[in-house]
Amino acid sequence: MRTEDLVFMTIMLPLFGAAIAFFAKAFPKGSLTSKILEYGGAVVGLVLPWWALIQLFGPVYQGESFSGVVGGWNPALGIFYRFDGLSWLIQLLGYSVGLAAYIYSVGAGPRGPAFTGIFLIQTAALSAAIITTDMFNLFVCLEVLGVTSYVLIPTSKKPGASLAAFSYLMVSASAMVLFLVGTYGLYRLSGSLAYSEIASAVQGLSGTDHRVYLMSLVLLVSAIAIRVAVMPLYGWLPDSHALAPHAISSVLSGVLIKTPLFALSRVLGLFVQGADVGLLMSYAGAATALVAVVLALSQSDAKRLLAYHSISQIGYVVTAWGTAISIGANTQAGLVLMTAAYLHALFHAFFKGLLFLSVGTTVDLAGERNVYRLRGAARYLRAGGDRLALTFVTFLVGALSITAIPPMNGYISKNAIGYGMKGSFLYLFLTLAGVGTVASFIKLSRIYWPSAATREEKSVEPAAEKGNAGLGYRLTAQFMLAGICVATGVAFPQVLDVTGRLLSGGQVLKQPNLYGSATLLKTFYTALAGVGLFMLIQLKPMAHILHVIRERPRSFQGLFVSFSLATAALALWLLY
Amino acid sequence: MKLELLLILILFLVGFWGIVGKNNIIKKIFGLNMINAAAVILFILEGSRSGADAPILGKEGLHIVDPVPQALMLTAIVIGVCITALALALAVHLYRVSGSFDIDRIRDKVHNEN
Repeated sequence: MRTEDLVFMTIMLPLFGAAIAFFAKAFPKGSLTSKILEYGGAVVGLVLPWWALIQLFGPVYQGESFSGVVGGWNPALGIFYRFDGLSWLIQLLGYSVGLAAYIYSVGAGPRGPAFTGIFLIQTAALSAAIITTDMFNLFVCLEVLGVTSYVLIPTSKKPGASLAAFSYLMVSASAMVLFLVGTYGLYRLSGSLAYSEIASAVQGLSGTDHRVYLMSLVLLVSAIAIRVAVMPLYGWLPDSHALAPHAISSVLSGVLIKTPLFALSRVLGLFVQGADVGLLMSYAGAATALVAVVLALSQSDAKRLLAYHSISQIGYVVTAWGTAISIGANTQAGLVLMTAAYLHALFHAFFKGLLFLSVGTTVDLAGERNVYRLRGAARYLRAGGDRLALTFVTFLVGALSITAIPPMNGYISKNAIGYGMKGSFLYLFLTLAGVGTVASFIKLSRIYWPSAATREEKSVEPAAEKGNAGLGYRLTAQFMLAGICVATGVAFPQVLDVTGRLLSGGQVLKQPNLYGSATLLKTFYTALAGVGLFMLIQLKPMAHILHVIRERPRSFQGLFVSFSLATAALALWLLY
Repeated sequence: MKLELLLILILFLVGFWGIVGKNNIIKKIFGLNMINAAAVILFILEGSRSGADAPILGKEGLHIVDPVPQALMLTAIVIGVCITALALALAVHLYRVSGSFDIDRIRDKVHNEN
């Protein structure tokens, strides 16, 4: 088999699996044939691509990359693609979290051939979005990603989830129309849709043409920024991620908000003014990290708290990513930062996926999602069949990772970002956000604290029967992710080395010293400050402020106002 | 050329106003369709700058339209139809839950239930 065919396997296998899964609908619901087809499709779509990824690792590790025109078409008409280390890494992210989430959903729901099929189509689109280097093809991939998430979010059958999906659909579909207009602008200027040809055509433009080019770039970037949920554009995320089924939450937070970002880095790396966009995005990212953590701290719903943390953590990623692009993604410093940004995206996918699944299991078994009311959750876990309260252990791994406590993987990636950002004022924002993260995870972990009041008054039966179904699958998925969190944290020199080589095309990057006394001391102070902040928000006036933040009015129009403002700000930034 | 662009801009703005200014979610979906149509017409207009004949192989002539925008727009229209269908399905579901198509009333209703 040619290596080029292996590359397309990563897209075709999930699509083929989806087709098999949809076939299951031709057979009676619950029959053996239907089950075999559904799970067979899932194996084809989520397990077999691993074989292709393993085969492809060798060449990309040596710095090779594969590019060309899909199907050997005439370059004037065909679609260009490129498979390199970045594509490999993003696919690793998508397939690992996707597989764990799917295993969890087998136990916890949603189930059924339609769900499996759509889940697999989403995976295929993720894979395609990072391989394509054609502007219109990227549009199609982003639309497919969007459509599948609008379908998957309401599968939790909560009315709020339908509203969240509707709001997300409206704002994101409108933004994608603007993406199309941006594509139009670039096509008009260059007569091509391939990134590289557009990039060479737009060099040295002046006058009106230059302004058309800049406006097109603005429209493309802001449409993608909605998907990534950076600061002014995050409004759609908390509800949709909090109300989606747990398995879908973990994929949405873990994979779906990051793939467009790294797909964008392909575009920005080629274009003039890409560096300016990167710089503005890094400011937006730092603001995102800090503001979202304050919002997270104020939440009362356990999953919504996690959803706000996704925004905050993507802020870290965007800050490092933007800075890397602004100093040049091919320089040594840029590559070190890009490696850190990617690693944080990857590790966040693991630990946030893990947190969503663990908290999901807990709130299902306890029948209560409010962090102020739920106490002694370990008892519900035991009553629900998780006799050793293993879910608490996996939650703890996730919480220690996100708060950057060694030796978990969060410690590695956050400090790698810190190493790369040293001396930048943006790093101050990230440090403060780190303090907020510690405080809000102490707040969240209170759901497991034993409490004398609840111990007596509530009999521990509610929701136990419903949640008990498929506990084995749930725990398998949780332990899979928890194991990865610990392993990637412990084996960090190798992880850093491999990621650096893949992103730089085979170079060996300088490794940051992550266990220096200064770094460890900083971690200690951050944790200490987090505990202090947690104590502080227990006070009456602080609790009142948080209540006001939590109940702030949110509207549908607000999503569009913030989108328009962000687009205008980006346009002003580039034009002047 | 200028007049056509102006008409497209008006179509886009009317659609955008429908999305943002109207509370009825069905009207919002109409608005989304309109801005999508505006983008499609913009591309088709761009393709027609090079000529007006249909781009069919064998009927070689220099005055054919640029076929690439047309091919792209076919895809964009299909995506638009999918999104509309999905949005309408969500609207029906929201109506069943809340008994209203008004976005503010739906939000109140849903907020109270959660």
